[in-house]
Amino acid sequence: MKKYFLNKPALMAGTVLLSVGLLAACGGDNEEAGGQGGNDQENNGSNNDASGGNGDISGELEIQYFVGGYGDSWWKEVIEDFQAEYPDVTIVEHAGPNINDEMRSRWVSDDPPDVVYIDGAGSSETQMVDDGQLMNLTDWINDVDSEDGSPLLDNLIVEPASYDGEIYSIPLVFDTWGTWYNRAKFEEEGYEVPSDFDSYMDTMGEIQDNEDISPFVTTGEHPYYFLRGVLTPAFGAAGGDELLADIVRGEEGVWERDEVVETMEKVVQMQEEGYIDDGFGAFNHTQSQMNFLLGDNAFIPVGFWLPNEMANDVPDDFEFGFIPSPLQDAGEPFAIVPDLRPLAIAENAENPEAAKAFVEFVFTQEYATAFSEHTGAIMNLEGVDLSENENVPPYLIEANDMINDPDQVQIYHRPHPMSADLETPIGNSLLSLMLGNKSLDEFIEEAENATADYRGE
Amino acid sequence: MVQTKKQKYLFLAFCLVPTFLLFAIFTLYPLVSGLYYSFFRWSGSASNMEFIGLSNYVRMFNDSIIPRTIMHDYFLVVTKVFGIMILATFFAVAIMQLKIKEAPFYRIIFFFPNIMSVVVIGILWTFIYNPSLGLVNSALEFVGLGNLTRPWLGSETWALPSIVFPSVWAGIGLFMLMLMGGIGTISKSYYEAAELDGATEWQQFWKVTLPLIWPQIKVSILYIVITTLNGSFILVQVMTGGGPNNSTHVMGSYLYQQAFVQYNFGYGAAIGVMILVLSLVTVFLLQILLRREKVQY
Repeated sequence: MKKYFLNKPALMAGTVLLSVGLLAACGGDNEEAGGQGGNDQENNGSNNDASGGNGDISGELEIQYFVGGYGDSWWKEVIEDFQAEYPDVTIVEHAGPNINDEMRSRWVSDDPPDVVYIDGAGSSETQMVDDGQLMNLTDWINDVDSEDGSPLLDNLIVEPASYDGEIYSIPLVFDTWGTWYNRAKFEEEGYEVPSDFDSYMDTMGEIQDNEDISPFVTTGEHPYYFLRGVLTPAFGAAGGDELLADIVRGEEGVWERDEVVETMEKVVQMQEEGYIDDGFGAFNHTQSQMNFLLGDNAFIPVGFWLPNEMANDVPDDFEFGFIPSPLQDAGEPFAIVPDLRPLAIAENAENPEAAKAFVEFVFTQEYATAFSEHTGAIMNLEGVDLSENENVPPYLIEANDMINDPDQVQIYHRPHPMSADLETPIGNSLLSLMLGNKSLDEFIEEAENATADYRGE
Repeated sequence: MVQTKKQKYLFLAFCLVPTFLLFAIFTLYPLVSGLYYSFFRWSGSASNMEFIGLSNYVRMFNDSIIPRTIMHDYFLVVTKVFGIMILATFFAVAIMQLKIKEAPFYRIIFFFPNIMSVVVIGILWTFIYNPSLGLVNSALEFVGLGNLTRPWLGSETWALPSIVFPSVWAGIGLFMLMLMGGIGTISKSYYEAAELDGATEWQQFWKVTLPLIWPQIKVSILYIVITTLNGSFILVQVMTGGGPNNSTHVMGSYLYQQAFVQYNFGYGAAIGVMILVLSLVTVFLLQILLRREKVQY
């Protein structure tokens, strides 16, 4: 027994086996696309008749898309149709609410998917461009035509983001932050839907008196909701695209400009009147939306995802109403700044031709209409008529009409999204201002310090 | 049946090599990697990195949020050490020495939070602190102290103290069991002798129980300090995300924000090195402070 147990070759073999096993278990393995987690699915078209499809495009096409408030039913439909159109392509989907984190190791190891939809936590278009992870699409996209033969770029509601004149992504989802309210409640109580800052303050005052609630709520856990949903359009209304560009780029002295200070004074006014829920600092995304649906608050600034995401929690007597955030002065049209969720192709895509074919395939009237039907939001393509579509929610038809009427709504643009390095410190300071713990002067000083840090000074 | 030297070494190697490999892969490698990445500008989401020497450390010394995170961490260390040790000692002594019939029941009740995930505890207490629906504000209103209600986790002043309670609540059980183990080894004859000498129960606690369970108390304090410095970020991340306005950020949660939200992975790695250094220094100082002669009667 002794001899057997302590047999040298057996011991050595055991040790080596254990070590190799451990190393193998810990080693990288990129063979299985997508790794664990998420919702990786493979649509293999190799069994289909190749002669029936587009013979130029074949091979494996990996698509990464975030599944959030808009769900994934639209993606499933598009991918299924693309598969039918290109049967020689094997499509691998990487999808889920945490897909950006789950795919991070693939991006770090220069083995990214071919197509990526940039949305949700853990994704940043500006960072991906900075890191050289996205393909420069400038030349290609200029040659892509729409169904009617006109250039695709002429048919987009909003042009692609520009990084020193270069295009790295095509905006797919035309989301816009705005202010939501309960239309049924407003009609029942006779509250006026705000049309500018003065009427906004009047309505909030009336609601506060009648309902004994703080009328306005947002999430304090993510202060950028207020920054993107309320302040950015307000800055657009006050100073146009130029001011927005200077803010996004962190130009020196931008937070001290008159139009910025006047806008921030409106926020201070809301805080001093007690219109902002004093518990908002603790609310996360879902809690703030839940409180709004429960009637604890009357206004919330979020994107078009709200009705779809909270569909299971909407009270029976609740009806969604949407207006662009009304911080503009009386007599001015509403302002919105589109918050675009783009589609991009990886710089190291293994199948760039299939990736380009997919991007081109998506931007059609058919899928733009389907997008509104599936998600209750708008795809970034002009000329989509939703007015007679019974599958589209009423708030979206109304919002769509409003957005397309320049007398009612003025659309402003940022050159690109704000970097997290700039947005985070400004958002934190903004939160303190909204809690009443900081004066406007202190906020402006901290915002200026944040821009200086961002510029590397 | 006597083993030869060779056989003995082979057996030792069989036991130690896999352990060392695991230690090297899961402890040494991340440690060295963290140090390595702290010298780079790296987003953490791409393969390209730029060597920047000590720039991340220079930035850390100029970052006004860093001193706040260190203070917040040590605030949690101090409040948790006192909160957990006082309560755990009290419950351990009560259960062991008062000879309560329901002792096993209380043991389970107090230990229960330890088998719950810290994330679940964080979510649970977030609901307890909810300004409108939470237990805390409802209870205050119920007892007529409505003027004390506040948005606990949404207040820059109260958010950090509010995190102390779940931390203490979740920690008592484990240390209570450790102390109970210590108390269980004390011979009853010491208490009988003390009683014959006229010692009160309070004096028995200070002169007999406490000195004899000092090794367990010391280990418990060290354990609380280490787990707080390295792990308090979980509760912070779940309950407040470091907010409002950085008022609850601890070193770990700030590291997470820099590395994974602001895409400054290299800077996050530098913060990780700082946490390691501070933890080592703190534990070293505590070893000196808590050194005592071993008591034997």
